[in-house]
Amino acid sequence: MGAEPPGGERRVKGIGLSPGVAIGPAYLFAAGAWQAEREDLCPEDVAAELERFETAVARSERELARVATVAQEKLGPDSAAIFDAQALMLRDSAFYAAVTDHIAREHAGAGWAVQTVLDDVRARLEASASAMLRERAADIADIQNRVLRNLQQGRALSRIDRDHIVVAESLSAADVLLFSRRGVLGCVLDSGGPTSHVAIMARALGVPAVVSPHGLADHIAPGATIALDGFAGEVVVDPSPATLAAYRRRAERFARITAAAAGHADEPGVTADGHPVGLQANVELREEFALLHEYGAAGVGLFRTEMLFLTHGRALDEDQQFAIYRDALRASAPHAVTVRLLDLGGDKVLPFAHREANPFLGWRGLRILLDKPDLLRPQLRAILRAAVHAPADAPPRLLLPMVTALGEVAAVRAALADVAGALRAEGVEHRADLAVGIMVEVPAVAIQAERFAAVADFFSIGTNDLTQFTLAVDRGNDRVAPLFRELHPAVLDLVARAIRAAHARGIPVSVCGEIASDPRVTPLLVGLGVDSLSMSPAYLSIVKQVLRTFTLAEARALAEAVRAEPDPAQVDRLLASFLSTHSGDLASALGVGDIP
Amino acid sequence: MIVREVTIRNRAGLHTRPASMIVREASRFESEFFIRLDGYEINGKSIIGVMTLAADQGTTLELHFDGPDEAAAADALEAVFENGFGEPV
Repeated sequence: MGAEPPGGERRVKGIGLSPGVAIGPAYLFAAGAWQAEREDLCPEDVAAELERFETAVARSERELARVATVAQEKLGPDSAAIFDAQALMLRDSAFYAAVTDHIAREHAGAGWAVQTVLDDVRARLEASASAMLRERAADIADIQNRVLRNLQQGRALSRIDRDHIVVAESLSAADVLLFSRRGVLGCVLDSGGPTSHVAIMARALGVPAVVSPHGLADHIAPGATIALDGFAGEVVVDPSPATLAAYRRRAERFARITAAAAGHADEPGVTADGHPVGLQANVELREEFALLHEYGAAGVGLFRTEMLFLTHGRALDEDQQFAIYRDALRASAPHAVTVRLLDLGGDKVLPFAHREANPFLGWRGLRILLDKPDLLRPQLRAILRAAVHAPADAPPRLLLPMVTALGEVAAVRAALADVAGALRAEGVEHRADLAVGIMVEVPAVAIQAERFAAVADFFSIGTNDLTQFTLAVDRGNDRVAPLFRELHPAVLDLVARAIRAAHARGIPVSVCGEIASDPRVTPLLVGLGVDSLSMSPAYLSIVKQVLRTFTLAEARALAEAVRAEPDPAQVDRLLASFLSTHSGDLASALGVGDIP
Repeated sequence: MIVREVTIRNRAGLHTRPASMIVREASRFESEFFIRLDGYEINGKSIIGVMTLAADQGTTLELHFDGPDEAAAADALEAVFENGFGEPV
């Protein structure tokens, strides 16, 4: 970046966090950069400084009250409680009195006083042995930023006009809430993943957002025109008139399509000729269960349980897990929830894990669970107990992560029988007849799919890992990221093989990788025979619209043509032309076939 | 002055939500309210103070009440602790 001639547009590929298209001037938001300088006040300025502090606290209180209200509405009481507690801290004697004391006695500037007092509290929390308390240090940091911002630049937020695009290194879920209230059009971030709280909040509020790993926040001038596509994960800075026009058309169509799609949330996921395809949600945070009905999800195809553990910094015990699973199953009724057993390792580590030279090929997923019965057994017990709270005809399903050997499936089934026996002996209410499926995310499993289909009750294809392992490409590595192609013929071969083997055994197959949410790929996956697609819920309505535009026979013909094509670029063209033919409006809204 | 001994019963310990319950309840009374743990004393009407106690499940705390409505305050706060803050125990 910066090498381009001045005046030229810059196109940056990132990851879409929240779908939608937006065009507007950049507003650079420096969250976390609020630093106060030490300043000594003249005695006659003390009274005014105390008043300035009170004004900033009052403003922060009003902000938090608004955020808590929206959080309550959108995400439920658990999320709102955090903002309520933060509001309480503003008037806390350990904060408010300590700061006013600092100002009055030492004639310190309010910003410096706030920083000194809260740095001290934060240091005490961060030094704690308890992960729970170290986490609370983040609340203190939020308070500090909020008050400092309101002190130093009380005008900052109110200066954001409607129709701006916020560019920030990072944002909190609370920031996104406030921005959306102020009519912000979209967000560009330097950090945060599709499963972060920020992303979930942005999707819940319909604010398009893209995360770009290129440090954009430092390279955009305030007011520069930004065009962003939260679906394709694209950001264009200073777009040319032609790009701008293309984006405007895209934005218009996108708005029309999402408005239309919202009305179809309750319709079944079927092809034009009535062939059913289960369109389900990937869920990571408990708050998301509240949104499933609104999005029209036919159940949860992938409930990742890692965050439950990682946010607590320690293993949850059986009762805590039970309560979470029970609530999840109830919220998803009448549909089923597929619970993936704890998939730690790779980039998600618990404190007991040691550092590995190659974590993606290391001690992870099922390998950890089978080595640590103290993790596996409480989770199995909690799920079996929670299962009695699911609809009788839609019990939860168990999904095993990172399977590579037949014996691993047998070991889990043995543990399951053991746990069920213990629950029965203890007279604890439970349900043991749960389907046990496996992730197909390692080439070994796809290659030997016939054998694995004989021991599993269903397959769930994780295309992200399957692609990474098949092509030996780490997509987090910028140098090789362009080689990461989920539609590479070798990957499609493995996907097709897994589906064929599963259907020969009469077991269902779902796809839960990122391609499941890409409407260009929907017809191909259906044509290959996939029974259900599981994706981030915000994408469901669009994928459903696409699904309803083609017949099963057309999808099969497309899949055959794609399978015969050795050139990945040609595959892209086949998919784009299929989408343009069957849903032209959507194709142009999504920029499929657009320049360049 | 009234002193009561209580134990943290809920599994998650004294995190943000329980801390705010304690502070809200304590603020209804005029009496001063302090919590002691291992010689460390904090103002029980301060949520930041309560959080820095870092009290896990099973920890025993000393509650000190001093003021005109100390008896009522002691009973009310003891009940909040005994209920495990309405969380799984």
